[in-house]
Amino acid sequence: MSLNLTWYLIVSAIIFTVGVTGVLIRRNPLIIFMSIELMLNAVNLSFIAFSHYLNSVDGQMFVFLVLTVAAAEVVVGLAIIVSIFRTRRDIDVDDMNVLRG
Amino acid sequence: MTNLTVWVLLMPLLGFIILGLIGRAMSRRGILAVALGASGLAFLFTVISFLSMLGTTPASARFSDQVFYTWINSGVTVGVAPLTISFGLLFDPLSAIMLMVVTGVGFLIHIYSAGYMEDDPGFWRFFCYMNFFIFAMVLLVSADNFLFLLIGWGLVGLASFLLIGFWYTRRTAVAAAQKALVINVIGDFGLMIAIFLIFKHYGVLNYFTNSNGNIGVFNQVTAGGIPTISTTIICLLLFLACTAKSAQLPLYMWLPDAMEGPTPVSALIHAATMVTAGVYLVARANPLFQVSPTALIVVAITGGITALFAASIAVFQLDIKRVLAYSTISQLGYMFMGEGAHNYSGGIFLLTEHAFFKALLFLAAGAVIHSLGGEQDMREMGGLRYRLKITFWTFLIGALAISGIPPLAGFWSKDDILSSLLANATSGGGRVFYLLWGIGILTAGLTAFYMFRLFFGIFAGGYRGTGSAEHAQEEEEDDIKHGHQPRSDYEINESPAIMTVPMIILAVLSIVGGFVGSFALFGDLSWHPFATFLNPVFTNPNWTNVPVQVPVDTLSIGWLSTGLSVGLSLIGILGAWTLYRNGFFYKENKNPFYQLVLHKYYVDEFFILVLIRPVLWMGRTATRLLERDVLDGGSRSIGRVFIGASGLLRRIQTGYVRNYALAILIGALLIIVYYAVRG
Repeated sequence: MSLNLTWYLIVSAIIFTVGVTGVLIRRNPLIIFMSIELMLNAVNLSFIAFSHYLNSVDGQMFVFLVLTVAAAEVVVGLAIIVSIFRTRRDIDVDDMNVLRG
Repeated sequence: MTNLTVWVLLMPLLGFIILGLIGRAMSRRGILAVALGASGLAFLFTVISFLSMLGTTPASARFSDQVFYTWINSGVTVGVAPLTISFGLLFDPLSAIMLMVVTGVGFLIHIYSAGYMEDDPGFWRFFCYMNFFIFAMVLLVSADNFLFLLIGWGLVGLASFLLIGFWYTRRTAVAAAQKALVINVIGDFGLMIAIFLIFKHYGVLNYFTNSNGNIGVFNQVTAGGIPTISTTIICLLLFLACTAKSAQLPLYMWLPDAMEGPTPVSALIHAATMVTAGVYLVARANPLFQVSPTALIVVAITGGITALFAASIAVFQLDIKRVLAYSTISQLGYMFMGEGAHNYSGGIFLLTEHAFFKALLFLAAGAVIHSLGGEQDMREMGGLRYRLKITFWTFLIGALAISGIPPLAGFWSKDDILSSLLANATSGGGRVFYLLWGIGILTAGLTAFYMFRLFFGIFAGGYRGTGSAEHAQEEEEDDIKHGHQPRSDYEINESPAIMTVPMIILAVLSIVGGFVGSFALFGDLSWHPFATFLNPVFTNPNWTNVPVQVPVDTLSIGWLSTGLSVGLSLIGILGAWTLYRNGFFYKENKNPFYQLVLHKYYVDEFFILVLIRPVLWMGRTATRLLERDVLDGGSRSIGRVFIGASGLLRRIQTGYVRNYALAILIGALLIIVYYAVRG
């Protein structure tokens, strides 16, 4: 049983699903962020895998891009969380529904 | 020939613009300077042009058509020629006379108004509107095509509306203004359709061939080729416009109500100038009317019936301004009778003289009203001959003039029309002219009677007022009894010179103005300067197929007509003297005929019943059924549908990030599934 592309993609899909589930069910924004990171990195994993098997560096290029965006996103997201915490002393996402229609 | 018509037009326009923009902030002196300056300069320019015209010979050269600006150049030939409409000003004897009347009488009344409106808070507004009126009227009488005539026609209606409703806090004034506007619009509509038809048949709208090369309507009429039936329809529609503007049957009802406006307005607009626009239009369109004898008979008969009808109403009116209003309607009917008898210059002659003596009568009535603090009811007057000396004498002159007592102005003009009616009757114009002549004679007698009833009512006997004026008089006597100097404002005072001087000028004109009429009665056939002056407008050598019936005045016919009319006038005056020389004492009279005439033949009541009530009922029903139930109800139910739908949709908008994330996930999964299934 060789370690071919399928296995990588399966791992990637599992990680992605774990991430999605985390985003959907957790109430702590920090955990949600971590879950988002899991999703992003699951995608990165599939990019690398494809890149290796297709003998192309394009996928790796995309990974760098995703990493950069992820870093920026975390910066912004953490800042938002901090400011919410400062005003509300509570960061349970279930309480943040002021945009309810 | 010097032609300054454009400056005559621009001066009042300028005054109107200045007063309209900054009049509110100006001092009274400044407002007067602008308003009187504008109307005075307009009059000055008119006089210069008029004198220059008088100095021009031969008479056929007294014609100037200046085209300033081509407004519409369609380039499309519809009918005969491509439609070109220019802003041009026509200056011929007819418009010269009209301009003299409009600006001359207008200027005098501007001066008078300076005194009459002195204490009015709307001082600047009043003069702003007055200048606007002069502008519109000048445009009306000097336009060289039907379209600009229509513009002027509409604008004078607007000026009339604004000035009738000048005291807009009075409900009656606002109602009268609306009535005037609505009835005038009926006439405007007739004029509009007439203009459409003129365009359809002649392809142009200018009266005479102009510098753009458009063959004028009247030139085409005289050249022939247009079916008479079309011309008749055009003439009848034009005359519909005239009946509304000049308050003839059946559209006369607005004019008596128009007396709600300030008295100088009644004098200028609703007696001397604007209401004569119809008389002007018939005279201007005389080539059209000449080829359509049917329309001309309609003009004559309408005028005749109106003259008698309005005179009969005037006999029993109690409000002095309303007596004068019905008298105006009656005199306008007289003018139309004259025009209907082919005597256009006679109609314009009476128009001019009427402008003098009717403006005078209104101004004198205004002076009476002014000195009594707004009282208009004849029952509350009397005995004013000692206190208002100038008003008394000028009113007497005006009343004699309108009654047709020689040698005052009214005599010459009325006689001119009566003799032409009789001449038409005797020279085969139709039996209807005998009837019209009889109506004319009868109306002359009635006119004399109601004018002197009014005159004695105001000036004869003792003072019958019960209002503030009588109270003031008692206090005055009280002051004298206790040895105090009486306060001057207790008295009923003669108006200031600024009001009496225009009255005196008009009185002089009412005396001497008639001498430009025809002296044919005295065997002098050469002296008829007024008719001679207007001759180029009313007889054109180029008219080949126009059956012009020149009234034949023979001396015996002339004297018969004159003798009868003057005799009846004297009987009328005598009757008024017998009844009212000791003052006017009103008695309730239950005689049904008297009640019928007193209530103006219940015409207003009739129209309220058959026209206004049903229309209001329809409106209210439509409001209830159509507006509230169908339109409002319909739009509300559309709203309700959206509210319901959005109420369901907004449940989705929970505000929880996780729900949105789930939605994205589901969406992404669906896309994947779609592509997976599709392969």
